[in-house]
Amino acid sequence: MGPWSKHLRTTAILLALVALLVACLPGSDQQAGDGDQGAGGGDEDTGDATAGTGGTEEGVDDGTEDGTEDGTEDQAGGDGGTLVVWDQWARGVEGDVVDQLNAEFSDEHGVTVQRETKTLDDLNATIGLAMGQPDGPDVAQVNQGRADMGALVEAGLLMDLSAAAEERGWTERFSENLLNRNMFSEDGAQFGTGNLYGIAPQAEVVGWYYNKATFDELGLEVPTTFDELAALLGQIAEAGETPITFGNLDAWPAIHTYGTVEHVFVDTGYLNDFIFNLGDAGFDRPENVEAAEIVQTWVDEGYFTENFEGIGYDDSWAQFAAGEGALMLTGSWISGELDQDGYGFFLTPGEAAGDVVPQIGGQGVPLAVRADTEMGEAAVDYLDWMVSERAAQLWAEAGGLPSGEPPEGAVADQTLLADVVDGWQTTLESDQVGHYLDWATPTFYDTLTAELQLLLSGSVEPQAFVDTLEQDYQASSG
Amino acid sequence: MAVGGVREGAPASSREAPRRGQGGRVGHAGSSGWLPYALLALPALVYGTFVVFPLASTVRVSFYDWNGLTPPVFVGLGNYVALMGDTLFWGALVHNGVFLLFYTVLPVGVAFLLVVLLTQERAVRGLALYRVGLFVPQVIPMVVVGVVWRWMYSPINGVVNVALGWFGADPRPFLGDVTTALPAVGLVATWVQYGFAMVLFLAGIQRIDRALFDAAAVDGAGPWARFRHITLPGLRGEIVVALTVSMIAAFRVFDLVFVMTRGGPANATNVVAFEIWRRAFQQREVGAAAAVATVLVVLILALSRLVLRLQESEQ
Repeated sequence: MGPWSKHLRTTAILLALVALLVACLPGSDQQAGDGDQGAGGGDEDTGDATAGTGGTEEGVDDGTEDGTEDGTEDQAGGDGGTLVVWDQWARGVEGDVVDQLNAEFSDEHGVTVQRETKTLDDLNATIGLAMGQPDGPDVAQVNQGRADMGALVEAGLLMDLSAAAEERGWTERFSENLLNRNMFSEDGAQFGTGNLYGIAPQAEVVGWYYNKATFDELGLEVPTTFDELAALLGQIAEAGETPITFGNLDAWPAIHTYGTVEHVFVDTGYLNDFIFNLGDAGFDRPENVEAAEIVQTWVDEGYFTENFEGIGYDDSWAQFAAGEGALMLTGSWISGELDQDGYGFFLTPGEAAGDVVPQIGGQGVPLAVRADTEMGEAAVDYLDWMVSERAAQLWAEAGGLPSGEPPEGAVADQTLLADVVDGWQTTLESDQVGHYLDWATPTFYDTLTAELQLLLSGSVEPQAFVDTLEQDYQASSG
Repeated sequence: MAVGGVREGAPASSREAPRRGQGGRVGHAGSSGWLPYALLALPALVYGTFVVFPLASTVRVSFYDWNGLTPPVFVGLGNYVALMGDTLFWGALVHNGVFLLFYTVLPVGVAFLLVVLLTQERAVRGLALYRVGLFVPQVIPMVVVGVVWRWMYSPINGVVNVALGWFGADPRPFLGDVTTALPAVGLVATWVQYGFAMVLFLAGIQRIDRALFDAAAVDGAGPWARFRHITLPGLRGEIVVALTVSMIAAFRVFDLVFVMTRGGPANATNVVAFEIWRRAFQQREVGAAAAVATVLVVLILALSRLVLRLQESEQ
């Protein structure tokens, strides 16, 4: 047998194998429909007569209003079934808070909470498939945005929580301008309006941390206008200190830097339109060019840590925590890592004293409910519990920023966390929650981070920077 | 059949016996030709399940617009056409080309240098120690290598900047600068990759008859002439293996880039494998990601084939 015929035979066998396998590939019906029994196993509409938070509510389970929702509870108290929850609160303190909340929820509702913790990356990667399974999690943290929550909504995997939001009073406690980040039209096509698909126990706000010792030393005051802030940066630089501790090797921190400055000159109406692609809000606006100019000037003036291009975010805040630099512009998530007495926090001031301008922020990764769960009622109870005052208290005591207002005394006065909680509440009350700009289009994160690196290194002009982003925006929004 | 003829025509003799036995064996194997395939079934099943099937799935998905959740929409060659005009993809491909230098050319060069040094006639003291020590980078997981080198390149007390500081240089953000990021990542790849080529060459050199070197020395050949005319031709097989393997590595590099720069700054270290990840997991464009993956596989196969061809033609 010659080498050729041998080759031919091998090739033929391989081809046949490929053909066979291709033929076996699953069709476009991706929904796994095998008769797997749900893990919960509980009856539909498992009641909760003992529920303090929502015992009298009814008909909130899956948005399918079938007239007289049967609020009858056959299994109240004793065995309310098992609620499977996937979350990404993996870190020590956070994990403890969630365990504590879960235990209290279990006691009160007679529902066993089966918790599974994953990293955010793992959760994002697996949640799509899991939510399509009959034994998938009943409640899970689903990342915000078109690519994650939007895709799940489009696939019909998430429960519409709009009715629950009304009945549980979420709409009163959280403005629409905050909840809209978890809203989609029913087909998942339109972001920012329509049905509500998630709610988060934690909040995020980006603002200015300052080193109190350095401020005292240099005789500085917390600025009340944006011009004062700019002057303050100059003063610090003149004194030979680094004004803003910054590290942009990971590329995303610059989104917060640029976005914060941009937010001073725009309003939430524009931001919502831009992010949710409503109306004809584009990126090519004089305000956005001006913000780019300001940030570039700050680089030229040496307001940022030297060689920030090569410093990672973690190294950067570690430096700040170790006392380097007078200010750091970043999110509430590092508040627990800094000395509570040595550091303070303030919101970005507006052009006039007393103005509250939009502040980048929002809710943390929201909890969502699987559309086909048999534990719908319990799941909504669980979400309501996770945004309750008790939850806010535990989060705050653990050093985190709760999305709701924590009760009096949960946060010690004069601490860094007190400043952060105040800042968030001010932002909420003035309805000035801004946006992470990278949400605008599926590719905006990549384009924005790359262009910001060029802007900060001085290799692109502010107008050209804005033009490139406008192109990305138009390409996606058509 | 000759064997059959012999069997029938000639009476049994001591010389025919084994042949006869052979003939019988041949006949047996012929009648049950399924045996080799039966033995192959398990490996074929494993290979089919874990290699051929995913490969075929990827190719199939590349013809769809699919976010991984909702039903896929057939778009024919749409993903490939879009790829043709995608500057990010082409930029990434160019960077992979640059990585050829750092993954293939430099490591093979370094390996040669080390092999020559380690195989001097006068045995180097502690040779085994050197060999092991020099091979160590190859053994460390890539992610660990990436994390460690990210620290080492840091402008805040990173070893590289501290060392350069001894010569009066100011610290530089090597990984954050568009001009230095790609070579900075590339050199780490070289540091990892040369050990593999070195071990291959060391093994190969032991196969070469020492007498050749001695004879050449007697004939007055210097070290360079001996290297050029004995070592190099003797190592041809190993060189081809080193080139092929490192070339494949250059085109599928992901871990180093992901850990050290995530393709930045401003896409200066973006590579094709990173584009796959970005599309599949960040933008949930699974179809587009599969198209990039398919192109990458075809490219790697073509390049490997080219290297093997070159070897065959030289022989």
